Amino acid sequence: MTPANNEIKRHDPSDIRIHWFNAACWLVLLVSGLGLIKNDKLNPLGAWLPDVLRALFGGGSAGGAVLLVLHEVVGVVWLVGIVIYMGVNAGGTRFFLREIFSLRPGDFTWMVRKMLRMTVGGGGELPPQGYYNMGQKAFAQASVLGGIAIGATGMILLASDKILPASVVWLVGWAVTLHYLAVGLVFAGLLVHIYMAAISPEEKPGFRSMFTGTVPRDYARHHHGLWVDALDKGEPGAK
Amino acid sequence: MNAKLAMVIDSAKCIDCKACVAACKQANGVSRGVWRNWIKEAVPPVENGKLGRGHFQPGACMHCDEPSCVIACPTGATFKDKADGSVVIDPKLCIGCGNCIPSCPYGARFRDPVRRIADKCTYCPERRAAGLPPACVDTCPTKARVFGDISDPNSDAAKLLAANQGKVVRVIAKQNDTKPNMYYIASTAPDGWAVKPVNPLSFDALSQVVAPLVKYAVGLSGLGVLAMLGRQLLVGQKPDVGTPHEGPEKDKKEDGHDAR
Repeated sequence: MTPANNEIKRHDPSDIRIHWFNAACWLVLLVSGLGLIKNDKLNPLGAWLPDVLRALFGGGSAGGAVLLVLHEVVGVVWLVGIVIYMGVNAGGTRFFLREIFSLRPGDFTWMVRKMLRMTVGGGGELPPQGYYNMGQKAFAQASVLGGIAIGATGMILLASDKILPASVVWLVGWAVTLHYLAVGLVFAGLLVHIYMAAISPEEKPGFRSMFTGTVPRDYARHHHGLWVDALDKGEPGAK
Repeated sequence: MNAKLAMVIDSAKCIDCKACVAACKQANGVSRGVWRNWIKEAVPPVENGKLGRGHFQPGACMHCDEPSCVIACPTGATFKDKADGSVVIDPKLCIGCGNCIPSCPYGARFRDPVRRIADKCTYCPERRAAGLPPACVDTCPTKARVFGDISDPNSDAAKLLAANQGKVVRVIAKQNDTKPNMYYIASTAPDGWAVKPVNPLSFDALSQVVAPLVKYAVGLSGLGVLAMLGRQLLVGQKPDVGTPHEGPEKDKKEDGHDAR
């Protein structure tokens, strides 16, 4: 048995790079995207937000047009970056997708008890979790499905005034609606993800691992017991 | 005071020569197959074997004070210009989603087949900047179309409106007065051709279902984070929180690691 205090590998350098690349793109795309919505029925926080963001880029609809170009360029860079990652680390991509979409008995109980524990307290013993806990899996699922929806609808919006004919504007209209919905729901999850990873003291080693790639073994045993069990049995971990 | 550009039309003077339509296309390079303005026709009635009087009605975007197209635009690419009151499309911000086209009850908008974005009458801003009236007004041989700032009492349009006070009519959308800035002197025909403004279902779904849903989802998530943060700050550091092995005991072990 390995010593309890050693570090075990959790993330490949390519995983770390794609995570922070994705985070940086999301930040730019979210802010520029908020500046692109300007409609009294849609503004999430009021008209001041697009007005302020547009003022930074020249003001008015001309400032909005600059934000649109920025949003389109970074959106394409984001999609290309993710496709490159999937090619560079195909094994890691497969492992990630298999892990996040495989639910185990106890996951639901874990989710309910963890939410109680983190907010009002109590909740009882947490069932052991695998490479990802149920909260991480739920957010990863939302990110993957949401990301596919955001990418696909974004491509339709990008193509709208370049190649799409008037006969398919219905598709463009629905792409706007779905783009807004998917971003909104993933953003709701993102708030919890950022809190849990970067602010909550419990997950500090997990946060650190998104820079170093490794976690302490006993942290892994406490938080991801089934993963460590599998590693001990000689099964491969994350690529 | 801000300007209020408007068109005042004596449709009885219109001879259906369509010079305004051709001049607009030429002046603005409007794509093939589409038009920014039009002349509608009230078919002359046939009574007792005799042909009655018909009527021609020049028209275009009415640059409404309460434009339904602006309400349907998700990006604000189409907006009411505060300085001159015209309804503008910024072609660089329009992505051609098409929402504004059915939301205009007057059929004034179309999706340009070449540029693939919304298009309509602009009151010829380049000509106005050069001190010229819009092309359709300039070319009209009978001067049926008169253009100007109706908030300026000395403009031709304002004078014409004042001279015909009480006799001016407008073509208004069914069930929705968008306050058009196109005034017809005395009477005009045909009437009743404006339709009800219709938003695409995707836009109604976005504004009435998706936008509130996202607000609630983000709000709920934000509340959850605040609750967790509050607990972290108030009771998170005290012992006897949660179950043993994920609580303070774990923190101690981790502290041990960090010390090494």
